[in-house]
Amino acid sequence: PYSMPGILHFIQHEWSRFEMERAQWDVEKAELQARIAFLQGERKGQENLKRDLIRRIKMLEFALKQERAKVHKLKFGTDLSVEQKHNESNDESKTNELQTTNAHMSWRHGRQLLRQYLQEVGYSETILDVRSQRVRALLGNNYDAPKPVENDNQVVNGNISDEEKQSNRCVWNQLQLASCSTDGNTESIFKDFNFLNAEDNDNEDDEDVNMQDEDVTDDGDHQRKARAKDAFDEVDGFGDEEMALAEFDFLNPTAAEPGIPEVCVCTSHTISLCQVKVQGPYNLLNVFHSESLPFTVGGTHMGDESIENALGLGALAGLTVANEADPLSYDIAATKESYRKTWNPKYTLRSHFDGIRAIRFLPNESAVITASEDHTMKLWNLNKPLPSKKTQSLDVEPIYSFRGHSGAVLSLEVDADGSYCFSGGLDASVRVWSIPSVEIDAYDTYDPAVIQKVLVGHTDAVWSLSYSSTRQQLLSASSDCSVRLWNPTSNDPLIQTYTTEGIPTSVCFVQCDSNHAVVSHTDGKINLYDLETGQISLVLAEGDGSKYIDCSVNCVASHPTMPITMTAHDDKHIKFFDNSSGKLIHSMVAHLDSVTSLSVDPNGLYLLSGSHDCSIRLWNLDSKTCIQELTSHRKKFDESIYSVAFHPSATYIASAGADALAKIFV
Amino acid sequence: SSVMDPEPIVRRNPPGTKAEDFYKWPAQSFDEMDTTLAVQQHIQQTIRQDFTDTETILTVPPGQDEGVWKYEQLRQFCLELNGLAIKLQTECTPLTCSQMTATEQWIFLCAAHKTPQGCPAIDYTRHTLDGAACLLNSNKYFPSRVSIKDSSVAKLGSVCRRVYRIFSHAYYHHRHIFDESENETYLCRRFTTFVIRYNLMSRDNLIVPIMDDASNTSNNNSVDQ
Repeated sequence: PYSMPGILHFIQHEWSRFEMERAQWDVEKAELQARIAFLQGERKGQENLKRDLIRRIKMLEFALKQERAKVHKLKFGTDLSVEQKHNESNDESKTNELQTTNAHMSWRHGRQLLRQYLQEVGYSETILDVRSQRVRALLGNNYDAPKPVENDNQVVNGNISDEEKQSNRCVWNQLQLASCSTDGNTESIFKDFNFLNAEDNDNEDDEDVNMQDEDVTDDGDHQRKARAKDAFDEVDGFGDEEMALAEFDFLNPTAAEPGIPEVCVCTSHTISLCQVKVQGPYNLLNVFHSESLPFTVGGTHMGDESIENALGLGALAGLTVANEADPLSYDIAATKESYRKTWNPKYTLRSHFDGIRAIRFLPNESAVITASEDHTMKLWNLNKPLPSKKTQSLDVEPIYSFRGHSGAVLSLEVDADGSYCFSGGLDASVRVWSIPSVEIDAYDTYDPAVIQKVLVGHTDAVWSLSYSSTRQQLLSASSDCSVRLWNPTSNDPLIQTYTTEGIPTSVCFVQCDSNHAVVSHTDGKINLYDLETGQISLVLAEGDGSKYIDCSVNCVASHPTMPITMTAHDDKHIKFFDNSSGKLIHSMVAHLDSVTSLSVDPNGLYLLSGSHDCSIRLWNLDSKTCIQELTSHRKKFDESIYSVAFHPSATYIASAGADALAKIFV
Repeated sequence: SSVMDPEPIVRRNPPGTKAEDFYKWPAQSFDEMDTTLAVQQHIQQTIRQDFTDTETILTVPPGQDEGVWKYEQLRQFCLELNGLAIKLQTECTPLTCSQMTATEQWIFLCAAHKTPQGCPAIDYTRHTLDGAACLLNSNKYFPSRVSIKDSSVAKLGSVCRRVYRIFSHAYYHHRHIFDESENETYLCRRFTTFVIRYNLMSRDNLIVPIMDDASNTSNNNSVDQ
């Protein structure tokens, strides 16, 4: 059979489940979008590198042709025309491809490219590795500094042969590479590079020479040149050139200019990609610019794009990380209970001199009121913690102290709009207070109007209060064996007195039926009262006062939508009763010691319990399982936690203890 | 419960406890207390046994760190001063006492503000107690209940000085309230003994005459003045 509460509960449950799933989908969608963006960026970077490397190869070829032409000239003196034609055609094509207007510039750029290529070849084995490895390897060898114009002139004039030998070697390496593999598989290319690298130790030396940080300018250049000269002294330039030329023939017997094997292109791509990626994260834009000078403006542009891609990738990578973190900090609308997995301590409220017996949140603020055995109650604004360097646990000072009770304050309730609060004390008084604004200054002038009323009637300690917003009435339970119903705003506030059998410990309006209230007693009795008739309408538990010492029930709580009462027992149990039938629905051992306090979340999905075992536990009400346990509060004598509370509309929970502290968790 | 198996003593005031039974468990010796709040427990226990026995209440247990002892005593004094404060709330208003004074010599400025302010006596009282609560509970100066830095112990003197003015204002301007409260708690004489013994205030500032047991009613006003 269907019942309204059951339907409500089902709907709420389903809705919260849907919301949870929707949140998960959103998270997944964001993650996938980030991944897509990341991959797109990577692809763009790859394509840019591909373009980059094609250009470089073209330049190498051009440089090689020119060397060849010069060698030819030197050797044979006059057979330049044939080569020249080749060179010129190459020049033109190269120029067109390179988009350079200055042949001299392309010379210089070509040389720089070759130098770079040497170092790239040497470190090719790291290209396939994770980005960080690339970074480490490449950062260990700084990039080539741009040659100042003077150096270029010198080289043009006199030192060309050395550079050319260098470039020849580089080209030879590349051709070796090209000859060794014919497929487009990048990895095989890298293996080839390894093969080359192992053989060409000289090249590695050259690469070291070339690894000068841009910042080290003149000294670096001198060193570089000196070492380069040393390295090349051993080389028989002519021999290398011949080998290089021979390789060219091998590759391309027919083509006027060496073709660009796909293989090489791929290799070059990844090298540049590696280069780019290294620089991106470290923002070595200057170094990159110097390197890409051979490409002139076009190259630099590409470099920028590549850097942006790399940086963009970095940003996107950060995006994915942030997304992973989001589910944990997912913020839900105020009316819903959070389904996040864990609560963490956020605020510690320090100011009371003795144990805090009760804690309640203001319904529409990030604020709490505490009631203590030091005779005071205090109002705290969680939005104004003490400034602190750490963000994990913040201390809060109170903004108002309610003074009026002449003994320990034992119970506390707040009305539905947060304008009044009610307190019950050891001095047998129930007091009505007007709650000051949460924005007041902590050291303001005293306003006697905060004390609204003193409800006189009880003759002994008032241990429990319950406020019904529908009735606008207050119930109080006292160890004088009575429960009283009050209208706090009226001039004659006492409406009715119910004498209890045994000493009541806790009273609570039934949330979905404010004509009834549940009262628990020190002997374990739990009774459901009809407030109109003043009679016990149902006995939920008989009470076994004579049988064992820990039979007392410390706290009763009412479910917001279903006719269920939850009770906290001295014998470590939490029990669930059906208000209609009076039957015990469920009983569970909840703590290692007396359970002292219960609080239900506003949606009826979770239960918070506190105990003298110094722990508070969060329970899922459907499965009756413990979702989280938090250790909190130290003991004074044999007591530790007196009170726990959920915020009625925000994601806060609170605990209050005998150590005079209150803790707020988010 | 059966006489044969002695139940372990559980020192709790659970819901439902009558006011007369509050804290009415067998006393626990200080050495057996193993919580961080042992000193507070001990002081409160001693006061409950006999609030008039100032000497016993102020006697530090052997081996107990004196800085912590002074700190916990001051916490307890501030706690109990609340009783005097709520009595003052009823009749000490900005109209009757627009400033914090004791004798005509001095006007006390409230130190709870950025710049000292001439608060009315009731505000001075509340602000001083609230400020003391913040300082004595501050995680910065008093992060622990079992050990206290010397620099923090040095702050106790200024708290004592300001808090004492509540006694002196009540004595000189609301005498019946003072007497009533003092009869119920012996607080001022205990406080005076405390600050003298531990050198927390100079004697010149102790302007409320300590009444001996024989003359602790308002009838003997003239004698004491």
